[in-house]
Amino acid sequence: MRIQIPAWLGLVCVCGLISCGNEMESPVSGPTQISLNSPDYFPNNVAMPADNPLTEQGVQLGRMLFYEKKLSADGSISCASCHQQQKAFSDGKQFSFGVNEAKGDMNAMSLSNLHWQNRFFWNGRAKTLEEQAVQPIEDEREMNLPIEEAVKRLEADTKYPALFKNAFGTEDINAELIGKALAQFERTLISANSKFDAWIRNEVELSPEEKLGMELFFTHPDPKLQLRGGNCSDCHLGFLTAGDPNGFTGFHNNGLDAEEHLASGLQSVTGNPFDKGKFKAPGLRNIALTAPYMHDGRFQTLEEVLDHYNDHIQNSPTLDVLILEASNELPDGSDAVKLHLSKDERKAIISFLHTLTDQEFITNPKFSDPFN
Amino acid sequence: MKNLFYTALFGSLLIFSSCKDEEIPATMAINIELEHVLAGQTLELNGKSFTLPSGEDFTPKKFKYYISNVELKNSATGETYVEPESYHLISEDGNKSIDLGMVPSSDYDQLVFSIGVDEVANGKTDQTGDLDPNSDMAWNWNTGYKFLVLEGEFTNSKTSERQGLVMHIGTNANYKTITQNLSGVRAGKSTTLILSSNLDELFLDPNTLQLSELESTTIMFGEMAGKVAENYSDGFITVK
Repeated sequence: MRIQIPAWLGLVCVCGLISCGNEMESPVSGPTQISLNSPDYFPNNVAMPADNPLTEQGVQLGRMLFYEKKLSADGSISCASCHQQQKAFSDGKQFSFGVNEAKGDMNAMSLSNLHWQNRFFWNGRAKTLEEQAVQPIEDEREMNLPIEEAVKRLEADTKYPALFKNAFGTEDINAELIGKALAQFERTLISANSKFDAWIRNEVELSPEEKLGMELFFTHPDPKLQLRGGNCSDCHLGFLTAGDPNGFTGFHNNGLDAEEHLASGLQSVTGNPFDKGKFKAPGLRNIALTAPYMHDGRFQTLEEVLDHYNDHIQNSPTLDVLILEASNELPDGSDAVKLHLSKDERKAIISFLHTLTDQEFITNPKFSDPFN
Repeated sequence: MKNLFYTALFGSLLIFSSCKDEEIPATMAINIELEHVLAGQTLELNGKSFTLPSGEDFTPKKFKYYISNVELKNSATGETYVEPESYHLISEDGNKSIDLGMVPSSDYDQLVFSIGVDEVANGKTDQTGDLDPNSDMAWNWNTGYKFLVLEGEFTNSKTSERQGLVMHIGTNANYKTITQNLSGVRAGKSTTLILSSNLDELFLDPNTLQLSELESTTIMFGEMAGKVAENYSDGFITVK
């Protein structure tokens, strides 16, 4: 079989971005509903939560809360301390530091295209973005501020009561509204103007190496047919290059550790031993900016990541089937799980990953610190 | 004999009632429910092990497929209902029903549908809903969509190693149309049809699959994929 240029990508007729800031009829004094500014090749069947419609005022409030240091116990950090725009809302550290130099044990995730995601945190413990957004405020290793205290501080502030009133029609601030406002801002963090996007829209060509990398990225290998693949899109799906948003389908054991060292991961949420060692497959948009990699930030570079998937998969009972059964060579009788990509092929995949970097996203003034 | 009696009785009632035209509504609701069965047991994806027809153990992890172009036919009158935009992604851990909604009333006695996605829809991917290319059912080159996905693990009987099975069947040649006879569908009467997808049939009839004997247990293209498609073209999905 001759592999062709991914026609499903090329065929996509791009009609430009869906218009943003579409103002809808709204009651005289209520917040102004807006819609997300997303391209038509992103899934279009994901509704806004009925109880948290996107509004101009809600997004504005959420942006302020995202950068608000008052939400940490000693006023030293905000959400943005570990989710920095220039690093695609990650922080470049293996583990992030909270207040009092408390150290977490998970790598801060990059934030983008979250509207199309479900189940948040590496172990999936938050069902919704709204639910996720308030947890780091209270987490003692992060911002370490009881939510009641956070509410008090915002109520005592000169600007927030009016901003909550504008966004939600009430000055009665509570944890739920803080979560809703943060979630609204986070939903606007859409990354869709990378070179890959420009290529989807037929505006640029990819280099031969990038193109090869893309083909490998989106192909599960079949050695019988000499069909070579890097196996990436089995978990990082479609244009979003993100995990499957259905239930816990987007959580996988990607062979980081052997059975005796497997972290519990999703099992800590579901209680199911078959979920041991499974973590959320993150979206790979801007991946070149978000090192270090994996839930525990163990890999410093994309080269290390590719080396892991190619040569160092640790087998265990919950290892993902698509990794277990993925090789560019026919079985040689050994029980080692290896992908058998060449060095050039790995390099090509990394080239493709660099096309996911979106300069506009990391410099967009709408996402930046409103207090500066 | 008893059945005959009831049929006769019911039939005469129908004839009787059909005199009053207004008693048969112009449309009727038809819903299709799918059940997934392996080795006589309800399929589960949470780690439960099943025995394949070959006797090998198998722990399924993912099972999804497309049912498309659903039609209802009344062979006596020639009436046919063709569902528009008929593409349904069925999955063990997701949607397992097809709601045809209100269809013109008729004594439909045949259900026609296909496994996979027809050539037209398979040739483009700027599509939405169940054909959204951001799901894991879209391929990245000219082959379009995966029609049927079965993934899981088995123990290789020769090496005793745990091994993965990756069955991703697609390509236009493997689009298969299936006709099933219906009984009991009556004009004007809302009905739920129960279909059973018997996963054993993917490994049997006419092509027997012994996983431990396969050169590779990634079955995506070529001869093996064609054999699995032959298997699912007959006896895989049946009306219960």
